[in-house]
Amino acid sequence: MVSDILKVRVGELAARVNGEVEESLGELELTVDDRYSIVTLTEAKNFADVPCDFLHDLCGMDLEDHLEVVYQLSSLRGPQRLRIRARVERDNPVIDSATHIWKGADFLEREAFDMFGIQFRGHPNLKRIYMWDDFEGYPLRKDYVIESHEQRAVMRVRKEGE
Amino acid sequence: MTIEGTQEYAINMGPQHPSTHGVFRMVVHLDGEVVTGVEPKIGYLHRGLEKMAESRTYTQFIPYTDRLDYLAGPHNSLGYVQAVEKMMGIELPERAEYLRVIFAELGRIASHLVMIASGSLDICGWTPWSYCFRDRERILDLFEMTAGNRMTPNYFRIGGVSHDVPDEFMPALKSFLDDMPEMLEEYQGIFFGNEIVQSRMKSVGILPKELAENLLITGANLRASGVQYDVRKAEPYSIYDRFDFNVPVLYGCDTYDRHFIRLLEIQESSKILRQALKDIPDGPVMAKVPKVIKPPAGKVYHRVENPKGEMGWYIVSNGTTKPARVRIRTGAFVNVQMLSAIIAGWKIQDLVTIFASMDLVLGEVDK
Repeated sequence: MVSDILKVRVGELAARVNGEVEESLGELELTVDDRYSIVTLTEAKNFADVPCDFLHDLCGMDLEDHLEVVYQLSSLRGPQRLRIRARVERDNPVIDSATHIWKGADFLEREAFDMFGIQFRGHPNLKRIYMWDDFEGYPLRKDYVIESHEQRAVMRVRKEGE
Repeated sequence: MTIEGTQEYAINMGPQHPSTHGVFRMVVHLDGEVVTGVEPKIGYLHRGLEKMAESRTYTQFIPYTDRLDYLAGPHNSLGYVQAVEKMMGIELPERAEYLRVIFAELGRIASHLVMIASGSLDICGWTPWSYCFRDRERILDLFEMTAGNRMTPNYFRIGGVSHDVPDEFMPALKSFLDDMPEMLEEYQGIFFGNEIVQSRMKSVGILPKELAENLLITGANLRASGVQYDVRKAEPYSIYDRFDFNVPVLYGCDTYDRHFIRLLEIQESSKILRQALKDIPDGPVMAKVPKVIKPPAGKVYHRVENPKGEMGWYIVSNGTTKPARVRIRTGAFVNVQMLSAIIAGWKIQDLVTIFASMDLVLGEVDK
């Protein structure tokens, strides 16, 4: 269940960053634009009384017309939970990196980059993590076609002399 | 710092290396035999489970979840089926809840036993390894007699468990639990009390509390760094709030404590198992669920305490029989980052023990 004090804090924050608050299945959700993501995360981390200071998860999400970065915040010292969704453009998905707030966001952001092609501005080492470096395409996007290896031709063609 | 006459160089360790516990590769930067940095390279076991989930129905995806952390299969499925049940609002019969907890905790004990065993094997201790595997075998036998499968039982269903346990299950579980104190004493004596183990592991690979929180480390590794946090207590799922157990916490932050906390957790798990065995009621093991699993459109984030760290399931439904997105946050994947953060300054032999203390399983790292 969502505590009243957290609801008040999220409501105040939503007014400042022009976000929408939703509640479903006992979880509070705040949707913001990509340019407000870092402000929102920093403020949520420093909420008075109910700090959401632990980034539990960060993942990408494809909603056909735009992409999204979903942050699941929690705390090691309280029951507060908050989900922040940051909208990103589909054609030019760029968002600020959260690695300055949590070092551990490093791998999670690399995964989102690998799977959705979301660029994290300010990330120390933004490279593919699961797929090989010259892999083309972003597998978890909805328009990525799952075909056989031969049809998709994702295997790297050997150059002369290799 | 380069001492005269040496030079920094990088060597490749893995993916086929006995001490990397799977297909894990790291590029180790060395100055003499002192490690200056490690770059983990993962993805050799990447099967694209998140993408697969989108083309399968909710029920069809359950067997895949067992293959995430294949050393503790049941707990992965527990997170997934509970997330789907949360969306659909399914209430479970009592007996099914108890059977789930029994299987999940047996999986946790099996996983921790493998961790202690392989940790000892990495420093050439063959005997503790055989002791741990001897006892783990009994847990696998319990899985086998119920589900026919030893490591990935695929026993949980949306709305309960697939069938009741056979008659010989409960007596076998009881005798296993009765032998448990003696087993723990053996591990204590042969592994944790061993002089070589202590000199190789104590004060090695310190992970301070602040760094652990900043790196988003979860699970037993976090608890060995002095943070008493366990999802089973903080946000009880299933029926964990009914059992009386403690969350062990150690303050040494070193490799030894990260191993030792597993032993303490086995003790707590066996406490839960004993209570579950005493209280388990008779009755049905499957709730009334619709023939076609079709959760209403919406999203849910459900977290469970896996043996390797916290696992989070973010499931987005669009109201059809197939999920729009299944996101799996695995503990081991995030915990990998600990290695490059704390390794600088330790020697190659410490790299092996520090790696063992992280308790990675590549099925969970690579998904």
